[in-house]
Amino acid sequence: MRARLHPLTALTGAACTAVVTTAAASWVFSVAVTLAVAVLAARAGVARQVLPAAAVILAPLCVSLLVLHGLFFPEGQTALASWGPARVTAEGLRFALELATRTAACVLALLLFSFTVSVPDLVSALAERKLPPQFVFVLASTLALLPAIAGRLVRIRQAQEARGLVLRGGLLSRLGAVRLQMVPLVLGLIEDAGSRAQALDARGFGGGAPRTSYREVPDPPAQRWFRAAALLAAAGAVVIRLALSWPPGVQP
Amino acid sequence: MSQPSLTLPAAGQAAGRGRRLLEIAGAAAIAGTYIFLVLTQPADIANGPASFSALVALGGFLLGAVLLILAVLPVLPTSTLVLMPVALVLNVVLGQLMGTTGLPFYFDAIGTVLIAVLAGPAAGAATGALSSIVWSFFNPTVLPFAAGAALIGFLAGLAARGGQFRRFYLAPVAGFGTGILAGVVSAPIAAFVFGGTSGLGTGAIVSAFRAMGDSLFAAITKQALISDPMDKAIVFAIAALLAYALPRRATFAFPFVRRFGVLAGKAPGTPKA
Repeated sequence: MRARLHPLTALTGAACTAVVTTAAASWVFSVAVTLAVAVLAARAGVARQVLPAAAVILAPLCVSLLVLHGLFFPEGQTALASWGPARVTAEGLRFALELATRTAACVLALLLFSFTVSVPDLVSALAERKLPPQFVFVLASTLALLPAIAGRLVRIRQAQEARGLVLRGGLLSRLGAVRLQMVPLVLGLIEDAGSRAQALDARGFGGGAPRTSYREVPDPPAQRWFRAAALLAAAGAVVIRLALSWPPGVQP
Repeated sequence: MSQPSLTLPAAGQAAGRGRRLLEIAGAAAIAGTYIFLVLTQPADIANGPASFSALVALGGFLLGAVLLILAVLPVLPTSTLVLMPVALVLNVVLGQLMGTTGLPFYFDAIGTVLIAVLAGPAAGAATGALSSIVWSFFNPTVLPFAAGAALIGFLAGLAARGGQFRRFYLAPVAGFGTGILAGVVSAPIAAFVFGGTSGLGTGAIVSAFRAMGDSLFAAITKQALISDPMDKAIVFAIAALLAYALPRRATFAFPFVRRFGVLAGKAPGTPKA
Protein backbone atom coordinates (compact mmCIF):
# COMPACT_ATOMS: atom_id res chain seq x y z
CA MET A 1 0.00 0.00 0.00
CA ARG A 2 2.77 2.42 0.95
CA ALA A 3 4.77 1.57 -2.14
CA ARG A 4 2.33 3.59 -4.23
CA LEU A 5 2.74 6.73 -2.14
CA HIS A 6 4.46 9.61 -3.86
CA PRO A 7 7.84 10.07 -2.09
CA LEU A 8 7.05 13.67 -1.19
CA THR A 9 3.75 12.60 0.37
CA ALA A 10 5.59 10.13 2.59
CA LEU A 11 8.22 12.74 3.46
CA THR A 12 5.60 15.38 4.26
CA GLY A 13 3.67 12.89 6.36
CA ALA A 14 6.74 11.88 8.38
CA ALA A 15 7.99 15.45 8.88
CA CYS A 16 4.56 16.77 9.87
CA THR A 17 4.09 13.89 12.31
CA ALA A 18 7.40 14.80 13.94
CA VAL A 19 6.50 18.51 14.13
CA VAL A 20 3.01 17.92 15.52
CA THR A 21 4.36 15.47 18.11
CA THR A 22 6.98 17.98 19.23
CA ALA A 23 4.39 20.74 19.45
CA ALA A 24 1.87 18.59 21.31
CA ALA A 25 4.28 17.90 24.20
CA SER A 26 2.17 15.15 25.74
CA TRP A 27 3.54 11.69 26.40
CA VAL A 28 0.15 10.08 25.76
CA PHE A 29 0.06 11.59 22.28
CA SER A 30 3.70 10.57 21.67
CA VAL A 31 3.03 6.97 22.69
CA ALA A 32 -0.05 6.89 20.45
CA VAL A 33 2.02 8.17 17.50
CA THR A 34 4.76 5.64 18.23
CA LEU A 35 2.27 2.78 18.23
CA ALA A 36 0.56 4.05 15.07
CA VAL A 37 3.88 4.28 13.24
CA ALA A 38 4.86 0.80 14.44
CA VAL A 39 1.57 -0.59 13.08
CA LEU A 40 2.12 1.20 9.76
CA ALA A 41 5.65 -0.23 9.59
CA ALA A 42 4.30 -3.72 10.23
CA ARG A 43 1.69 -3.29 7.51
CA ALA A 44 4.32 -2.03 5.08
CA GLY A 45 6.43 -5.09 5.91
CA VAL A 46 9.47 -3.17 7.14
CA ALA A 47 8.95 -3.54 10.89
CA ARG A 48 11.91 -5.94 11.10
CA GLN A 49 14.25 -3.30 9.74
CA VAL A 50 12.74 -0.15 11.25
CA LEU A 51 12.30 -1.32 14.84
CA PRO A 52 15.88 -2.62 15.41
CA ALA A 53 17.34 0.48 13.72
CA ALA A 54 15.22 2.70 15.99
CA ALA A 55 16.17 0.64 19.05
CA VAL A 56 19.89 1.08 18.34
CA ILE A 57 19.39 4.86 18.20
CA LEU A 58 16.93 5.21 21.06
CA ALA A 59 18.24 2.77 23.67
CA PRO A 60 21.36 4.76 24.69
CA LEU A 61 19.38 8.00 24.64
CA CYS A 62 16.62 6.61 26.84
CA VAL A 63 19.06 5.07 29.35
CA SER A 64 20.96 8.34 29.51
CA LEU A 65 17.74 10.36 29.99
CA LEU A 66 16.53 8.02 32.72
CA VAL A 67 19.80 8.18 34.66
CA LEU A 68 20.19 11.92 34.16
CA HIS A 69 16.68 13.12 35.03
CA GLY A 70 15.67 10.21 37.20
CA LEU A 71 18.52 10.76 39.64
CA PHE A 72 19.40 14.44 39.27
CA PHE A 73 16.55 16.88 38.84
CA PRO A 74 17.12 19.87 41.13
CA GLU A 75 13.81 21.44 40.06
CA GLY A 76 11.86 18.43 41.35
CA GLN A 77 9.69 18.85 44.45
CA THR A 78 8.30 15.36 45.08
CA ALA A 79 11.21 13.19 46.17
CA LEU A 80 10.52 9.48 45.95
CA ALA A 81 13.92 8.31 47.21
CA SER A 82 17.33 9.81 47.77
CA TRP A 83 20.91 8.61 48.18
CA GLY A 84 23.30 11.42 49.04
CA PRO A 85 23.24 13.94 46.18
CA ALA A 86 21.01 11.75 44.00
CA ARG A 87 17.26 12.22 44.37
CA VAL A 88 14.59 10.34 42.47
CA THR A 89 11.80 12.83 41.85
CA ALA A 90 8.41 12.36 40.24
CA GLU A 91 8.97 15.47 38.11
CA GLY A 92 12.32 14.14 36.85
CA LEU A 93 10.87 10.78 35.87
CA ARG A 94 7.99 12.51 34.13
CA PHE A 95 10.37 14.78 32.23
CA ALA A 96 12.45 11.77 31.10
CA LEU A 97 9.25 10.00 29.99
CA GLU A 98 8.02 13.03 28.03
CA LEU A 99 11.29 13.49 26.16
CA ALA A 100 11.95 9.80 25.54
CA THR A 101 8.49 9.18 24.05
CA ARG A 102 8.63 12.37 21.98
CA THR A 103 12.03 11.46 20.51
CA ALA A 104 10.90 7.87 19.92
CA ALA A 105 7.84 9.02 17.96
CA CYS A 106 9.86 11.41 15.77
CA VAL A 107 12.66 8.89 15.11
CA LEU A 108 10.22 6.11 14.21
CA ALA A 109 8.22 8.32 11.84
CA LEU A 110 11.32 9.51 9.99
CA LEU A 111 12.86 6.02 9.87
CA LEU A 112 9.66 4.59 8.45
CA PHE A 113 9.93 7.14 5.66
CA SER A 114 13.58 6.39 4.87
CA PHE A 115 13.08 2.61 4.95
CA THR A 116 10.03 2.65 2.67
CA VAL A 117 11.00 5.35 0.17
CA SER A 118 12.41 4.36 -3.21
CA VAL A 119 15.53 6.48 -3.64
CA PRO A 120 15.27 6.81 -7.45
CA ASP A 121 11.66 8.00 -7.11
CA LEU A 122 12.63 10.49 -4.40
CA VAL A 123 15.48 11.82 -6.51
CA SER A 124 13.36 12.37 -9.59
CA ALA A 125 10.54 13.89 -7.52
CA LEU A 126 12.99 16.34 -5.94
CA ALA A 127 14.54 17.19 -9.30
CA GLU A 128 11.04 17.91 -10.67
CA ARG A 129 10.48 20.40 -7.83
CA LYS A 130 13.39 22.54 -9.12
CA LEU A 131 15.71 21.79 -6.23
CA PRO A 132 19.36 22.52 -7.06
CA PRO A 133 20.57 19.49 -9.06
CA GLN A 134 23.72 19.55 -6.92
CA PHE A 135 21.70 18.73 -3.82
CA VAL A 136 19.93 15.88 -5.56
CA PHE A 137 23.27 14.56 -6.80
CA VAL A 138 24.85 14.57 -3.34
CA LEU A 139 21.85 12.81 -1.82
CA ALA A 140 21.61 10.10 -4.48
CA SER A 141 25.35 9.63 -4.76
CA THR A 142 25.85 9.20 -1.02
CA LEU A 143 23.07 6.68 -0.67
CA ALA A 144 24.52 4.70 -3.56
CA LEU A 145 28.11 5.04 -2.33
CA LEU A 146 27.67 3.86 1.27
CA PRO A 147 27.30 0.11 0.61
CA ALA A 148 30.04 0.23 -2.03
CA ILE A 149 32.47 1.80 0.45
CA ALA A 150 31.72 -0.78 3.12
CA GLY A 151 32.66 -3.50 0.62
CA ARG A 152 35.78 -1.62 -0.34
CA LEU A 153 36.90 -1.36 3.28
CA VAL A 154 36.59 -5.14 3.61
CA ARG A 155 38.77 -5.62 0.50
CA ILE A 156 41.39 -3.16 1.82
CA ARG A 157 41.52 -4.98 5.15
CA GLN A 158 41.91 -8.32 3.42
CA ALA A 159 44.72 -6.95 1.27
CA GLN A 160 46.52 -5.49 4.30
CA GLU A 161 46.03 -8.70 6.27
CA ALA A 162 47.58 -10.60 3.40
CA ARG A 163 50.57 -8.30 3.86
CA GLY A 164 50.84 -9.05 7.57
CA LEU A 165 48.41 -6.61 9.28
CA VAL A 166 47.25 -7.98 12.62
CA LEU A 167 44.23 -6.40 14.34
CA ARG A 168 45.42 -6.99 17.89
CA GLY A 169 47.66 -5.52 20.56
CA GLY A 170 47.78 -2.18 22.35
CA LEU A 171 46.44 1.22 21.41
CA LEU A 172 49.46 2.18 19.29
CA SER A 173 49.35 -0.93 17.14
CA ARG A 174 45.59 -0.50 16.74
CA LEU A 175 46.10 3.09 15.59
CA GLY A 176 48.73 1.86 13.17
CA ALA A 177 46.26 -0.68 11.81
CA VAL A 178 43.65 2.04 11.39
CA ARG A 179 46.16 4.16 9.48
CA LEU A 180 46.98 1.27 7.16
CA GLN A 181 43.28 0.99 6.25
CA MET A 182 42.36 4.67 6.25
CA VAL A 183 44.99 6.01 3.89
CA PRO A 184 44.28 3.64 0.97
CA LEU A 185 40.53 4.16 1.43
CA VAL A 186 40.69 7.97 1.44
CA LEU A 187 43.21 8.08 -1.40
CA GLY A 188 41.10 5.77 -3.56
CA LEU A 189 37.93 7.75 -2.87
CA ILE A 190 39.53 11.09 -3.71
CA GLU A 191 41.02 9.71 -6.93
CA ASP A 192 37.63 8.30 -7.91
CA ALA A 193 35.96 11.62 -7.16
CA GLY A 194 38.38 13.35 -9.51
CA SER A 195 37.57 11.12 -12.44
CA ARG A 196 33.85 11.32 -11.64
CA ALA A 197 34.07 15.13 -11.71
CA GLN A 198 35.58 15.05 -15.19
CA ALA A 199 32.93 12.64 -16.43
CA LEU A 200 30.12 14.76 -14.98
CA ASP A 201 31.53 18.00 -16.36
CA ALA A 202 31.87 16.43 -19.79
CA ARG A 203 28.12 15.70 -19.65
CA GLY A 204 27.18 19.28 -18.78
CA PHE A 205 26.51 18.73 -15.07
CA GLY A 206 27.66 22.21 -14.06
CA GLY A 207 25.40 23.99 -16.59
CA GLY A 208 22.13 25.65 -15.69
CA ALA A 209 20.12 24.15 -18.53
CA PRO A 210 16.82 22.46 -17.62
CA ARG A 211 16.96 18.70 -17.14
CA THR A 212 14.62 16.09 -18.49
CA SER A 213 13.92 12.91 -16.61
CA TYR A 214 13.17 9.44 -17.92
CA ARG A 215 11.46 8.55 -14.71
CA GLU A 216 7.92 9.73 -14.06
CA VAL A 217 6.49 9.52 -10.58
CA PRO A 218 2.67 9.65 -10.56
CA ASP A 219 1.31 12.30 -8.21
CA PRO A 220 -2.46 11.86 -7.80
CA PRO A 221 -4.47 14.96 -6.77
CA ALA A 222 -5.64 13.24 -3.58
CA GLN A 223 -2.05 13.05 -2.36
CA ARG A 224 -1.50 16.74 -3.18
CA TRP A 225 -4.49 17.60 -1.02
CA PHE A 226 -3.16 15.35 1.73
CA ARG A 227 0.20 17.13 1.63
CA ALA A 228 -1.40 20.55 1.79
CA ALA A 229 -3.58 19.46 4.71
CA ALA A 230 -0.64 17.93 6.58
CA LEU A 231 1.45 21.07 6.13
CA LEU A 232 -1.45 23.21 7.34
CA ALA A 233 -1.95 20.97 10.38
CA ALA A 234 1.75 21.14 11.26
CA ALA A 235 1.82 24.92 10.82
CA GLY A 236 -1.30 25.23 12.94
CA ALA A 237 0.19 23.07 15.69
CA VAL A 238 3.36 25.17 15.74
CA VAL A 239 1.39 28.44 15.85
CA ILE A 240 -0.81 27.20 18.69
CA ARG A 241 2.22 26.01 20.67
CA LEU A 242 4.06 29.31 20.14
CA ALA A 243 0.95 31.30 21.10
CA LEU A 244 0.38 29.19 24.24
CA SER A 245 3.98 29.49 25.40
CA TRP A 246 4.29 33.21 24.72
CA PRO A 247 5.72 35.12 26.50
CA PRO A 248 8.57 32.64 26.88
CA GLY A 249 9.85 31.77 30.34
CA VAL A 250 11.46 34.70 32.11
CA GLN A 251 14.65 34.25 34.08
CA PRO A 252 14.03 34.48 37.82
CA MET B 1 40.48 17.22 -11.94
CA SER B 2 40.28 20.78 -10.73
CA GLN B 3 40.02 22.66 -13.98
CA PRO B 4 36.99 24.93 -14.18
CA SER B 5 34.58 24.21 -16.95
CA LEU B 6 35.58 26.02 -20.13
CA THR B 7 32.27 25.94 -21.93
CA LEU B 8 29.91 27.39 -19.34
CA PRO B 9 29.38 31.08 -18.55
CA ALA B 10 30.41 32.38 -15.13
CA ALA B 11 27.65 33.29 -12.69
CA GLY B 12 26.44 36.87 -13.00
CA GLN B 13 27.12 39.67 -10.55
CA ALA B 14 23.52 39.89 -9.33
CA ALA B 15 23.35 36.17 -8.67
CA GLY B 16 26.56 36.47 -6.64
CA ARG B 17 25.07 39.21 -4.50
CA GLY B 18 21.89 37.19 -3.95
CA ARG B 19 23.95 34.25 -2.76
CA ARG B 20 25.96 36.45 -0.42
CA LEU B 21 22.67 37.67 1.06
CA LEU B 22 21.52 34.07 1.48
CA GLU B 23 24.78 33.20 3.26
CA ILE B 24 24.41 36.15 5.61
CA ALA B 25 20.76 35.29 6.23
CA GLY B 26 21.71 31.70 7.04
CA ALA B 27 24.44 32.72 9.48
CA ALA B 28 22.10 35.32 11.02
CA ALA B 29 19.35 32.71 11.45
CA ILE B 30 21.71 30.42 13.35
CA ALA B 31 23.20 33.19 15.51
CA GLY B 32 19.80 34.80 16.14
CA THR B 33 18.23 31.49 17.14
CA TYR B 34 21.03 30.83 19.60
CA ILE B 35 20.78 34.28 21.21
CA PHE B 36 16.98 34.03 21.36
CA LEU B 37 17.19 30.61 23.04
CA VAL B 38 19.69 31.81 25.62
CA LEU B 39 17.59 34.87 26.44
CA THR B 40 14.25 33.04 26.65
CA GLN B 41 15.33 29.68 28.08
CA PRO B 42 12.62 28.25 30.30
CA ALA B 43 13.37 29.07 33.91
CA ASP B 44 11.61 25.99 35.22
CA ILE B 45 11.63 22.84 33.11
CA ALA B 46 9.61 21.00 35.75
CA ASN B 47 6.42 22.32 34.10
CA GLY B 48 6.99 20.03 31.14
CA PRO B 49 9.35 19.58 28.23
CA ALA B 50 10.46 22.81 26.61
CA SER B 51 8.36 22.39 23.48
CA PHE B 52 8.52 26.07 22.66
CA SER B 53 12.32 26.16 22.79
CA ALA B 54 12.54 22.85 20.92
CA LEU B 55 10.45 24.17 18.03
CA VAL B 56 12.40 27.44 17.89
CA ALA B 57 15.73 25.58 17.99
CA LEU B 58 14.71 23.11 15.30
CA GLY B 59 13.19 25.73 13.04
CA GLY B 60 15.90 28.36 13.33
CA PHE B 61 18.88 26.03 13.04
CA LEU B 62 17.44 24.00 10.16
CA LEU B 63 16.45 27.18 8.31
CA GLY B 64 19.99 28.52 8.72
CA ALA B 65 21.53 25.26 7.51
CA VAL B 66 19.23 25.09 4.47
CA LEU B 67 19.93 28.74 3.55
CA LEU B 68 23.68 28.07 3.76
CA ILE B 69 23.32 25.01 1.53
CA LEU B 70 21.25 26.96 -1.03
CA ALA B 71 23.79 29.79 -1.01
CA VAL B 72 26.91 27.67 -1.33
CA LEU B 73 25.92 24.60 -3.33
CA PRO B 74 25.22 26.10 -6.79
CA VAL B 75 28.58 27.91 -6.96
CA LEU B 76 30.80 25.00 -5.96
CA PRO B 77 32.89 23.54 -8.78
CA THR B 78 32.06 19.98 -9.76
CA SER B 79 35.40 18.74 -8.44
CA THR B 80 34.40 19.87 -4.95
CA LEU B 81 30.83 18.70 -5.31
CA VAL B 82 31.78 15.10 -6.03
CA LEU B 83 33.87 15.13 -2.84
CA MET B 84 30.82 15.73 -0.66
CA PRO B 85 29.37 12.20 -0.85
CA VAL B 86 32.91 10.98 -0.15
CA ALA B 87 33.09 13.23 2.92
CA LEU B 88 29.81 11.96 4.28
CA VAL B 89 30.81 8.35 3.75
CA LEU B 90 34.12 9.09 5.47
CA ASN B 91 32.28 10.67 8.41
CA VAL B 92 30.39 7.44 8.87
CA VAL B 93 33.04 4.86 7.98
CA LEU B 94 36.04 6.53 9.66
CA GLY B 95 33.91 7.18 12.72
CA GLN B 96 33.21 3.47 12.94
CA LEU B 97 36.84 2.59 12.21
CA MET B 98 38.07 4.86 15.01
CA GLY B 99 35.46 3.23 17.21
CA THR B 100 37.43 -0.03 16.88
CA THR B 101 40.34 1.58 18.77
CA GLY B 102 38.13 1.87 21.85
CA LEU B 103 38.68 5.59 22.44
CA PRO B 104 35.68 7.33 24.09
CA PHE B 105 34.98 10.06 21.52
CA TYR B 106 32.54 10.46 18.64
CA PHE B 107 34.79 11.31 15.65
CA ASP B 108 31.84 12.01 13.39
CA ALA B 109 33.36 14.95 11.50
CA ILE B 110 36.62 13.59 10.05
CA GLY B 111 35.34 13.72 6.47
CA THR B 112 33.89 17.22 6.89
CA VAL B 113 37.19 18.58 8.24
CA LEU B 114 39.20 16.84 5.52
CA ILE B 115 37.03 18.40 2.79
CA ALA B 116 37.25 21.81 4.46
CA VAL B 117 41.06 21.54 4.46
CA LEU B 118 41.15 20.54 0.80
CA ALA B 119 38.36 22.77 -0.60
CA GLY B 120 37.80 25.71 1.75
CA PRO B 121 35.31 27.08 4.31
CA ALA B 122 32.27 27.32 2.01
CA ALA B 123 32.63 23.72 0.89
CA GLY B 124 33.23 22.67 4.49
CA ALA B 125 30.06 24.38 5.74
CA ALA B 126 27.91 22.91 2.98
CA THR B 127 29.44 19.47 3.55
CA GLY B 128 28.72 19.61 7.27
CA ALA B 129 25.10 20.64 6.81
CA LEU B 130 24.45 18.20 3.96
CA SER B 131 26.11 15.40 5.90
CA SER B 132 23.63 15.84 8.71
CA ILE B 133 20.69 15.85 6.29
CA VAL B 134 21.77 12.74 4.40
CA TRP B 135 22.89 10.94 7.57
CA SER B 136 19.44 11.52 9.04
CA PHE B 137 18.18 8.91 6.58
CA PHE B 138 19.77 6.33 8.87
CA ASN B 139 19.73 8.21 12.16
CA PRO B 140 17.15 11.01 12.37
CA THR B 141 18.63 12.32 15.62
CA VAL B 142 21.60 13.91 13.82
CA LEU B 143 19.34 16.15 11.70
CA PRO B 144 18.88 18.90 14.33
CA PHE B 145 22.67 19.25 14.66
CA ALA B 146 23.07 20.40 11.02
CA ALA B 147 23.95 23.97 12.03
CA GLY B 148 26.71 22.82 14.39
CA ALA B 149 28.15 20.53 11.70
CA ALA B 150 28.12 23.43 9.21
CA LEU B 151 29.97 25.59 11.74
CA ILE B 152 32.64 22.90 12.22
CA GLY B 153 33.24 22.69 8.46
CA PHE B 154 33.33 26.47 8.08
CA LEU B 155 35.79 26.99 10.96
CA ALA B 156 37.99 24.12 9.75
CA GLY B 157 38.18 25.80 6.33
CA LEU B 158 39.04 29.16 7.91
CA ALA B 159 41.76 27.51 10.01
CA ALA B 160 43.17 25.86 6.88
CA ARG B 161 43.16 29.17 5.02
CA GLY B 162 44.91 30.81 7.95
CA GLY B 163 47.73 28.27 7.75
CA GLN B 164 46.86 26.25 10.87
CA PHE B 165 47.49 23.02 8.98
CA ARG B 166 50.99 24.02 7.83
CA ARG B 167 52.44 23.04 11.19
CA PHE B 168 51.20 19.76 12.54
CA TYR B 169 50.99 20.93 16.17
CA LEU B 170 48.72 23.88 15.23
CA ALA B 171 45.91 21.69 13.85
CA PRO B 172 44.74 20.35 17.25
CA VAL B 173 44.83 23.92 18.61
CA ALA B 174 42.48 25.05 15.84
CA GLY B 175 40.32 22.01 16.52
CA PHE B 176 40.15 22.91 20.21
CA GLY B 177 38.85 26.39 19.39
CA THR B 178 36.38 25.02 16.85
CA GLY B 179 35.12 22.53 19.41
CA ILE B 180 34.38 25.29 21.91
CA LEU B 181 32.20 27.22 19.43
CA ALA B 182 30.54 24.13 17.94
CA GLY B 183 29.78 22.71 21.37
CA VAL B 184 28.20 25.95 22.56
CA VAL B 185 26.02 26.19 19.42
CA SER B 186 24.91 22.55 19.63
CA ALA B 187 24.08 22.64 23.35
CA PRO B 188 20.54 24.10 22.97
CA ILE B 189 19.63 21.27 20.59
CA ALA B 190 20.81 18.63 23.06
CA ALA B 191 19.09 20.42 25.94
CA PHE B 192 15.74 21.43 24.44
CA VAL B 193 15.15 18.85 21.70
CA PHE B 194 16.56 15.71 23.30
CA GLY B 195 16.75 16.72 26.95
CA GLY B 196 20.19 15.15 27.33
CA THR B 197 23.02 13.44 25.52
CA SER B 198 22.97 9.95 24.10
CA GLY B 199 26.40 8.86 25.34
CA LEU B 200 26.79 7.36 28.81
CA GLY B 201 30.10 9.13 29.45
CA THR B 202 28.75 12.53 28.42
CA GLY B 203 25.55 11.81 30.35
CA ALA B 204 27.60 11.24 33.50
CA ILE B 205 29.26 14.66 33.12
CA VAL B 206 25.87 16.34 32.66
CA SER B 207 24.56 14.50 35.75
CA ALA B 208 27.49 15.81 37.78
CA PHE B 209 26.69 19.41 36.87
CA ARG B 210 22.97 18.84 37.49
CA ALA B 211 23.80 17.45 40.93
CA MET B 212 25.50 20.76 41.68
CA GLY B 213 22.21 22.52 40.91
CA ASP B 214 22.84 23.85 37.37
CA SER B 215 19.94 24.29 34.96
CA LEU B 216 19.78 21.63 32.24
CA PHE B 217 20.93 24.06 29.54
CA ALA B 218 23.87 25.27 31.63
CA ALA B 219 24.87 21.70 32.51
CA ILE B 220 24.83 20.57 28.88
CA THR B 221 26.74 23.65 27.75
CA LYS B 222 29.44 22.93 30.36
CA GLN B 223 29.55 19.28 29.32
CA ALA B 224 29.95 20.36 25.67
CA LEU B 225 32.79 22.66 26.70
CA ILE B 226 34.54 19.65 28.24
CA SER B 227 34.00 16.97 25.56
CA ASP B 228 33.75 18.83 22.25
CA PRO B 229 37.12 20.65 22.24
CA MET B 230 38.98 17.40 22.98
CA ASP B 231 37.03 15.54 20.32
CA LYS B 232 37.55 18.20 17.67
CA ALA B 233 41.26 18.57 18.52
CA ILE B 234 41.68 14.85 17.82
CA VAL B 235 39.52 15.03 14.68
CA PHE B 236 41.58 17.94 13.32
CA ALA B 237 44.78 16.03 14.08
CA ILE B 238 43.47 12.95 12.24
CA ALA B 239 42.41 15.11 9.27
CA ALA B 240 45.88 16.70 9.21
CA LEU B 241 47.53 13.28 9.36
CA LEU B 242 45.35 12.11 6.47
CA ALA B 243 46.03 15.23 4.41
CA TYR B 244 49.78 14.68 4.80
CA ALA B 245 49.54 10.92 4.28
CA LEU B 246 47.90 11.47 0.88
CA PRO B 247 50.26 11.90 -2.04
CA ARG B 248 51.04 15.52 -2.94
CA ARG B 249 49.76 14.91 -6.43
CA ALA B 250 46.29 14.38 -4.96
CA THR B 251 46.24 17.19 -2.37
CA PHE B 252 47.88 19.89 -4.49
CA ALA B 253 45.37 19.27 -7.27
CA PHE B 254 42.90 21.36 -5.23
CA PRO B 255 42.99 25.08 -6.10
CA PHE B 256 42.25 26.04 -2.46
CA VAL B 257 45.31 24.12 -1.25
CA ARG B 258 47.57 25.72 -3.86
CA ARG B 259 46.22 29.27 -3.53
CA PHE B 260 46.44 29.64 0.25
CA GLY B 261 49.38 27.32 0.84
CA VAL B 262 47.25 25.21 3.17
CA LEU B 263 49.75 22.36 3.50
CA ALA B 264 53.46 22.61 4.16
CA GLY B 265 55.83 21.70 1.37
CA LYS B 266 56.02 22.65 -2.26
CA ALA B 267 53.63 21.69 -5.00
CA PRO B 268 54.93 18.86 -7.13
CA GLY B 269 56.30 19.99 -10.48
CA THR B 270 53.76 19.81 -13.28
CA PRO B 271 55.00 17.88 -16.28
CA LYS B 272 55.22 19.92 -19.47
CA ALA B 273 52.49 19.03 -21.91
